[in-house]
Amino acid sequence: METPQTPRILAPHLNAFQHRIVRMVGKVVQLRGDMAIIDAGGNVDVILNRDAHLQVNHAVEVIGKVDQNLAIKVQAATDFGTNIDYAAANAVVEATHRHKAIFYDAD
Amino acid sequence: MNYNNYDTSYNSYGGGGGGGGGGFIPGDGSQTSPSNKRDYSQDTLRPVTIKQLLDAQEVGQEFKVDGAVVSQLTFVGQIRNIAMYATNATYRLDDGTGSIEVKQLIDADAVDQPSANKGKLVENMYCRAWGKLKSFNAKKHVYASVLRPIEDYNEISFHLLQATFVHLYHTRGPPGAAGSGGGAVTNGGQGQQGNMGGGGAGDLSSYNAVAKKVYNYLHNAEQSNEGLHQQTIAAALGVDTAEVARAGDDLLAGGLIYTTVDDQTWAVLEAD
Repeated sequence: METPQTPRILAPHLNAFQHRIVRMVGKVVQLRGDMAIIDAGGNVDVILNRDAHLQVNHAVEVIGKVDQNLAIKVQAATDFGTNIDYAAANAVVEATHRHKAIFYDAD
Repeated sequence: MNYNNYDTSYNSYGGGGGGGGGGFIPGDGSQTSPSNKRDYSQDTLRPVTIKQLLDAQEVGQEFKVDGAVVSQLTFVGQIRNIAMYATNATYRLDDGTGSIEVKQLIDADAVDQPSANKGKLVENMYCRAWGKLKSFNAKKHVYASVLRPIEDYNEISFHLLQATFVHLYHTRGPPGAAGSGGGAVTNGGQGQQGNMGGGGAGDLSSYNAVAKKVYNYLHNAEQSNEGLHQQTIAAALGVDTAEVARAGDDLLAGGLIYTTVDDQTWAVLEAD
């Protein structure tokens, strides 16, 4: 059972990764029914699924597909708690794109 | 009374010396022949991404990642699937770069194994694995000696950054060796005013302090391929525009920078 590659991105990359499955770590800013807004280098709309339980001000890692409105349709979400170092998480995203060879196959 | 006994026994122990233990003759028999002795000096423990493992080249019995042989490796991933078999537990780990099967052997004889981990590994949990890469039928897996759940999610960021660092180390050499022009030059060029040394690309020893600052700023700052305007540089450095203009002229004459859209916009001349 292979799992697809899920490159890590932040809000500014959404445009370049449309229709792809990506991974994003951000801070939950707002919850609104089955939608939420997370801050990952900018505000991002996420469309939640039934299993996603987000808490405001917690960090969350969402895996999902970027739709044409640059929102992420969540396939899986993991609560990362409250002591996440966002600078480190953002540095990982930067490293992912600068040194793609060890992170994902760009097509 | 006890004290005396203690003394006596101590003495007899001291007197026993080498011949006390039955049959153990030091210095002989314990030496194994050189061919049996394993050379551990080349073993490494490398942080890797799963994609690196899947891309690793098989060279005989070993694997090479980034051109260097890997013996032990470590990585962090999310458990996607758990399958328990008689002799091992197989986990499918995914770290966003790929997924791989990680097998942890179950030692049937070790009754009092520290089973701290066994109960805690569940699907969708992140964990760190330490182990070795093996392949079977052209399919790669990892035989893990340790599989520990992640408790602080910063460990994931840390691991990926560390893996990037080690990857760059193996592909580009140790940091500072392939000195980027700006960094190396700043250190070497200080305090060398008035030198008549000719300008090789990046050699700032013959330029004044302002010129060095301008060059370094141009070299390191974010810019399009048109470069930067001298006003931008002056504002960023807090230096008088006239000074920047003079410095720019020097650098232009030395062939370190060149003008782009107009005479006041410069970019660094990089020798490819």
